[in-house]
Amino acid sequence: MKVTFPHLGTMHIFCKAIAETSGIPYIVPPETSRRTLTLGVQHSNECICLPFKMILGNFIEALQMGADTIVMVGSGPPCRLGLYDLVQKVILEDMGLHYRWLTIPPRLTWQAIWKNYEETRELKKELSWKNILLFPYGLRMGWKKMMACEALEKLAMKVRPREVQKGETQKQLKKALSGVDEARTLRTLNDALQRGTTLLQETEQDFSRAPLKIAIVGELYTVMDPHINRGVEQKLGELGAEVTRTSWFSTHILRSLRKNKADQHSERIRFFEASKAYLGYDVGAECNLSIGEAIVRSQEGYDGVVHLMPFACMPETTASGILTRVGKDWDIPILTLILDEQEIEGRIQTLLEAFVEMLQWKRKAA
Amino acid sequence: MEEKGRIGIPKTLMFYRYFPLWKVFFEELGWRVIVSDGLGKRGKLVYFEDSCLPMKLLVTHSIDLKEKVDHLFVPRLVSLHRSYIMCPKFRGAPDIVHLAMEGTVSILDETIDLRVREYSMLRSFLKTGKQLGADEKEGKRAFQKAERFFFNFQKGWEDRINELPLKQVFHLETPALPKSEEKPFRVAFIGHPYNLFDTDVNKDILSFAKSLGMRIITPDALSEKEIDAQVSDLSKEIYWSSGREIVGSLFHFLSGGVDGVVFLTSFKCGIDALLQEFIRRRLKLKGGTSIPLLLLSLDEHSGREGLTTRLEAFRDVMEERKTKE
Repeated sequence: MKVTFPHLGTMHIFCKAIAETSGIPYIVPPETSRRTLTLGVQHSNECICLPFKMILGNFIEALQMGADTIVMVGSGPPCRLGLYDLVQKVILEDMGLHYRWLTIPPRLTWQAIWKNYEETRELKKELSWKNILLFPYGLRMGWKKMMACEALEKLAMKVRPREVQKGETQKQLKKALSGVDEARTLRTLNDALQRGTTLLQETEQDFSRAPLKIAIVGELYTVMDPHINRGVEQKLGELGAEVTRTSWFSTHILRSLRKNKADQHSERIRFFEASKAYLGYDVGAECNLSIGEAIVRSQEGYDGVVHLMPFACMPETTASGILTRVGKDWDIPILTLILDEQEIEGRIQTLLEAFVEMLQWKRKAA
Repeated sequence: MEEKGRIGIPKTLMFYRYFPLWKVFFEELGWRVIVSDGLGKRGKLVYFEDSCLPMKLLVTHSIDLKEKVDHLFVPRLVSLHRSYIMCPKFRGAPDIVHLAMEGTVSILDETIDLRVREYSMLRSFLKTGKQLGADEKEGKRAFQKAERFFFNFQKGWEDRINELPLKQVFHLETPALPKSEEKPFRVAFIGHPYNLFDTDVNKDILSFAKSLGMRIITPDALSEKEIDAQVSDLSKEIYWSSGREIVGSLFHFLSGGVDGVVFLTSFKCGIDALLQEFIRRRLKLKGGTSIPLLLLSLDEHSGREGLTTRLEAFRDVMEERKTKE
């Protein structure tokens, strides 16, 4: 048995940790590349959203490398993410690839647990008692690593706009993340986090700058994965903007477990309440939150909002229509980037440069 | 009864299934119902958001109606089935219309969610009735009458679409003509109702199909049981009611009973894009089918000529197959 999972931001680091700690063999799919995307595009329809194609590409590459068990997060209605597994299973089968599929249920309901039980029955035969006993520890390790990655990324977002030498922060962040990746025990993980934090903090910074403040909102895959959004976060940072986003693994996991820490919880509720002026119903996925966050951020004095969505994303299409009005009503510039498989890195760079320049003029004029 | 005022219904989306119900309900309450004109050949689309064509038409039609009516009826359709839901775009549709209208006209946007008792069709219409100044008793009476009319209307559906020109299908006063001649082909047309019956979306392809000697069958002809039988063995339930209907009826018709199947979809329809891929692969895995299948993707740029050429070729394929047998 060899387990594999899709790429999403730093997800491979902590998924790997879970598998490694509990002694389950795994294969990390090769880093998402042009080839991955080409494979995904080739085997799907043009109007399916970009995350679907990316994930499919990851799976194909991993299965070709010898993985045989796919672990994938599930989701519920109304967005298409909830039916990814149904369609991807048929596609992989049609391609003649052999796999077993394990869906992690989005909500713990009886139905989901039963389904999960059926899916794992075969797998359990291949797991030793040691694996099962170590699994909770693996989960703990994974969780700690996830939090460490998030802390480092958040710190990097703060350091980046003030860095003296362009691109330095990204280098240090990579080093810090690979340190976290290599840690085997909780203690070494703590050390790695400490070291990573100092690495980032010691990056040469110019504290006299007053960076622009930009919030990234939108569909969670496009916000969280630098391969899908072509490094929007890094690009904005290096153009001199301090970036914030509220989509993190921890927020989404805690939300689906309905165990939100009070602060995160209230933040999401605040966004949701703010969106009610424009939307009378929960459209689903991040739609309402994208709108709400744009409103709240403008009240908080942010300079601009970047809205990310995959081409033909169902909930975010509604959001993008409404956001044009929000931008006018609340006097906050909003840049919507619609992402698909086209090679648009250069175009995104130009768009972001123009957007940041425009924000700087706006600030000067005020 | 004197006329209380005018209610505008945009001629798009679920208009193409529920219009008879809506119309009778409002007329029973003493309101006049005004339906937007079609786009026609030279109509201008309003691009408020970058969505699928039927959604763009919603804004366009609403703007067309805005000056002519007192209220616009754009219900928030969350679910039209007791356990399955609609496309998420429907949930935000009234808000989009609201923003596009800039508050110049009042919008009746009661939520309909058949999964929840509180938002059942009846209750939602009672709430709408209340906004129009009707009490519960009046509303209930009007709704019951509307529902009865709607069921009767649906019974004659197949004859109606086959015997009447597509533009008159929703002229409720026009009676359905009895079945005329026997047509050589029975063809199933599958898709969302707003793709199948909206002549602005499909460039009136159904009329052309009829002139080619096809008798049109739609998923409405199937019972829920027949659809369920085709999709119950999937590894995961398809949770959009329209998606279920499309997949179920497609596999039902492809297993026999018709000469051909045509699947109409709009470009950028999220549900169709995902299910198209699923249908294609599953069909291949099941060993294919001997019944020809044609997939037509529609958007505002598609010309009638392209569609007619493909439909003619499709007829030839069906003819070939018939003569071989």
